[in-house]
Amino acid sequence: METYTYVNIFETKGLEYLLLICFLLLFVLLVRYLRGPHRD
Amino acid sequence: MAEGRVMAEVRRLGPFLAAEMRPKGPVLTPFNLISIPIILLGLGILVVRFTKGLGSVTNLSQESPWGLWIGFDVITGVAFAGGAYVITFAVYVMRLEKYKPIVRATVLNGLLAYVFYAGALTLDLGRPWNIINPIIGNDFGYNSVLFLVSWHFMLYMFAELIEFSPAVAEWLGAKRARRILSGMTVGAVIFGITLSTLHQSGLGALYLMAKPKIHPLWYTEFIPILFLVSSIFAGLSMIILEGTISHRVFSAQVDEKRHAGFEDMLFGLGKGAAIAMFVYYFFHALVFVHDHRWRLIEGFWGAWYLLEIIGLVLVPCFLFAYGVRNRRIGIVRTAAILALLGILMNRLNISVITFNWYSPHHYYPTWQEIVVTLMVIFSEIWVFRWIVLRMPVLRAAHELPSRGTLGTSRREPVPG
Repeated sequence: METYTYVNIFETKGLEYLLLICFLLLFVLLVRYLRGPHRD
Repeated sequence: MAEGRVMAEVRRLGPFLAAEMRPKGPVLTPFNLISIPIILLGLGILVVRFTKGLGSVTNLSQESPWGLWIGFDVITGVAFAGGAYVITFAVYVMRLEKYKPIVRATVLNGLLAYVFYAGALTLDLGRPWNIINPIIGNDFGYNSVLFLVSWHFMLYMFAELIEFSPAVAEWLGAKRARRILSGMTVGAVIFGITLSTLHQSGLGALYLMAKPKIHPLWYTEFIPILFLVSSIFAGLSMIILEGTISHRVFSAQVDEKRHAGFEDMLFGLGKGAAIAMFVYYFFHALVFVHDHRWRLIEGFWGAWYLLEIIGLVLVPCFLFAYGVRNRRIGIVRTAAILALLGILMNRLNISVITFNWYSPHHYYPTWQEIVVTLMVIFSEIWVFRWIVLRMPVLRAAHELPSRGTLGTSRREPVPG
């Protein structure tokens, strides 16, 4: 009986989803950073 | 009566154009002294190329049929010209009026880039007279990316010509023609943006069929998307660089008010470039993970790839962001130069450097190819300078020359 399974983050494209989530978070931070103290 | 007036205007046009042909500044400048010999040498090489064939002046072969003239002039030059569709989208579609003062210079730059760089395609064709085939239908290749690219280049040049034509009408004092041409601008802009998004990505699609030839670090089925996104910040960086040089060289053409607002415009462009580069970098990261490229990051090609992606994409992206936030114009300009180098490197990597990377007989451009490339660049700068010194490109758009030739004899301000 198999009680333990590995989930391959590469084959499930999990890494790509994580990367995309990181991108979205960092994108928001970048836009906030670019707005900065000097607003147009 | 009307016919007589037209004839009188046409008769006045001759002396006006003759006067405009005279040099408007000093002739013996360092730029002229460097560029004239290179242009003359380049013309001589072209005579040899067209009389004795491509093999007489290039290192092109059946194995490497596309060299520097395609890799730099067409593939890179068209990316650098991307600023025209980006800035016209910002001004005419998004109504970001603060960029309006640079629209004409950018569109002119884009138009000339297409005429000269895309025109350099003709030099690279073994049978240059066949360039007309996709247009006149001798051999419509509906499934060919080149068919799309050739039609788009031609149509986009017309669209940009229409976008720039009000400046020509103002130069000639043709008030009625200017009003008609200005009315066509928005339509031409929308048409031009549509064409640009397609052929910027289409240039990348040309390489989809070369999968076995391009190094796997650079080949991806997403090349068209990467080409499109990179053309956005390539265009913006080119505007920053070209605008900086133009504002120094043609400072007499720019009034004080525009000088004052120029840096603010550059910061806005830098902000756009930072965002576009960030998106581009993550597209690359996704492709990297998707294709499991870790195993390829080794040796020379791995280091070369990291230099491009980290050194000339991520670093300038951060520099743009830092420069914009802290209002450091020098850093924004440095970032623009690095970003342009990154685009140059990326496009040459795909089209020339990593093309046939495994082959023992690698392609290197001859000195003649380099001279002709320099000739194309210098010729474009010459024409750009000629137009900027005569037509209302950098100076206020509503100004009309004091001596007109066509249209009306009365000089009234024309709505901008």
